[in-house]
Amino acid sequence: MKISWRKHLNTLGPLVGLIFVVVIFATLLAWKDVMDGREFSGETGVSFFASIKDTDFYGLKAFLGGANAKIVLTQTVIVALGALGMTVVIISGGIDLSAGSVVALCSVVGAQLLNTSWASPWGVVLITVAAGGVVGLVNGGVVAGLRMMPFIVTLGMMTIARGAAKWLGGNQTVNFPDTPLLNLMALHKPDAFFPLPYGVWITAGLAVLTALLLRQTIFGRYVFAIGSNEATARLCGIRVQWMKVVVYALAGLYFGLAGLMQMARLAQGDPTVAIGLELDMIAAVVIGGASLNGGAGSVAGSMVGALIMTTLRSGSQLMGWPNYFQEIIIGTVIVLAVALDRLRHRAAK
Amino acid sequence: MNPARFIGRILFATSILALPLLAADRPLTIAVVPKGTTHEYWKSIHAGAEKAKLELAQQGVRVNVIWKGPLKEDDRDQQIQVVENFMIRHVSGIVLAPLDSKALVRPVENAEKAKVPVVIIDSGLETDKYVSFVATDNLKGGQMAGEELGKLLGGKGKVILLRYAVGSASTELREKGFLEALAKFPDIKLISSDQYAGPTRETSYQASQNLLRRFGNEVDGIFCPNENSTIGMTMALRDIGRAGGKVKMMGFDAGSQSVEDMKKGDVQGLIVQNPLYMGYKGVMTMVEHLQGKPVEKRIDTGVVLVTKDNMDDPKIKDLLYPPLDKYLK
Repeated sequence: MKISWRKHLNTLGPLVGLIFVVVIFATLLAWKDVMDGREFSGETGVSFFASIKDTDFYGLKAFLGGANAKIVLTQTVIVALGALGMTVVIISGGIDLSAGSVVALCSVVGAQLLNTSWASPWGVVLITVAAGGVVGLVNGGVVAGLRMMPFIVTLGMMTIARGAAKWLGGNQTVNFPDTPLLNLMALHKPDAFFPLPYGVWITAGLAVLTALLLRQTIFGRYVFAIGSNEATARLCGIRVQWMKVVVYALAGLYFGLAGLMQMARLAQGDPTVAIGLELDMIAAVVIGGASLNGGAGSVAGSMVGALIMTTLRSGSQLMGWPNYFQEIIIGTVIVLAVALDRLRHRAAK
Repeated sequence: MNPARFIGRILFATSILALPLLAADRPLTIAVVPKGTTHEYWKSIHAGAEKAKLELAQQGVRVNVIWKGPLKEDDRDQQIQVVENFMIRHVSGIVLAPLDSKALVRPVENAEKAKVPVVIIDSGLETDKYVSFVATDNLKGGQMAGEELGKLLGGKGKVILLRYAVGSASTELREKGFLEALAKFPDIKLISSDQYAGPTRETSYQASQNLLRRFGNEVDGIFCPNENSTIGMTMALRDIGRAGGKVKMMGFDAGSQSVEDMKKGDVQGLIVQNPLYMGYKGVMTMVEHLQGKPVEKRIDTGVVLVTKDNMDDPKIKDLLYPPLDKYLK
């Protein structure tokens, strides 16, 4: 009974964080709206509360409005998809630094396929996602086969995939004729919450599937077991190396799909996009309560973690804060989130 | 999501739609979105925007200028996010220097749909859903560079073009103009035109070093199409001891380092735009549009060839040393 309560706290923790971020920004924006209103109308002599009545809170409304929710969700799709793959890898005790480069590579693969005459839109989707899977398969194969540190292997793959993307794109962004795939990330009706881009629904659906995979299947148990203690897992009869190959390949599929979304969003394949995106994904997973030592983490937490970062960006921009301020805040939030997580765990012991 | 919150959201969304009507007497809020924020070039654009704000204030038009580049320099996806977030904020208008002529098309069209007008500055965009395009005639700038380099070389020699980056419409036009002008000199041979300087001084320095390792001894003239490529290439030329006029160096934009290099004689000519005027004109055009005045769809902000001989000319001096401190505090 007590344990299940603690388990819920672990998923709720990040959610509380997200609500906290939203409330903070809502308060700041409301305050800014009032102050701006006072300054613009020149009624500085009036009391603060009197000017609240005359404020139209346009910043606050913009932040909490459905249109912004839609934009925030759309802007989260790519990091969230990547974070799904990264969650599985990190729970298994590994790391994948090649994710950002794979996103770029797959965006170029998709764009080049769209320039061929034979690939149907569905074919493009399948091959692009599969391309990510192949890179993951290589990552996993080398990690497992040569017993190498995933950090090193994927660090190498980060540069290899980036180079491959530039090579495949002929050192250029790759443009393609209009395609229905662009609808994946298109904001039809930018002023309203619905319709949401397909990408958002796909991400939500995959998040549920991945959560089920990790929590309800033997595969998921094995991933947690390997991440908690690899040696014990091996003694228990889990084929650890084989599992690693599957884990990295699975993550690659997610990165491939993220690349497809990136391509749809830019309406081109861009070999230089998503530099450092893997760090955003890792941050999302870690904010979501995962441990880089493996064996802990949740899909729900990672999704909330990704949303927290996008919300921070959106709120900071509405506040009119400069970029360096945003970067400092996001960095601080990452460290704080993990620190709180550690404290919670210590308290639980 | 519970139904009450859902209805609340819809109410918010509709109230946002009604905002432009309510906000008639608010000061205009104009977002200026550069490609990045670290280049001096963009600081001049920023100064120009502030200059417009000051002048408008004197005319009694209150304008709020918000200066915001992509969180990561030169990252297309991040620039799209910035444009989208300004659209949500319902600023009065966006003045945008698009990082890519295609990738930014949809965000700009979305903004137009959401009734947020966009003025494009600096680099072109492949749509017509904008108010006006305020920029240098980059093709002409590139042609001027090619003609000047041809003259400097006496019509013969080996030339390198170090390109800037893929998908950047402004520099691609300069490169195209340069090659067009160079084609008029049959005895000039282009020995490399497929290398890219990349977004920072460091990347362009490396690309230049690699190029010169291969062609350093045979090259006679070089053209670089923007600030950081010019600076990086000049540094690399100095390293191998072929600066100071042994290799004729033509650059673009008046970064303060490039101007120093020209004084020393390491750079023979710079094609200089007027970014301050571009920022100024961008904001002015947006305000005129918002006031319901007709505006030109294409506004040329001019280019000048600056050499050691004319760099002390007062008019040129204002271009080389834009009075940034006057407008940026």
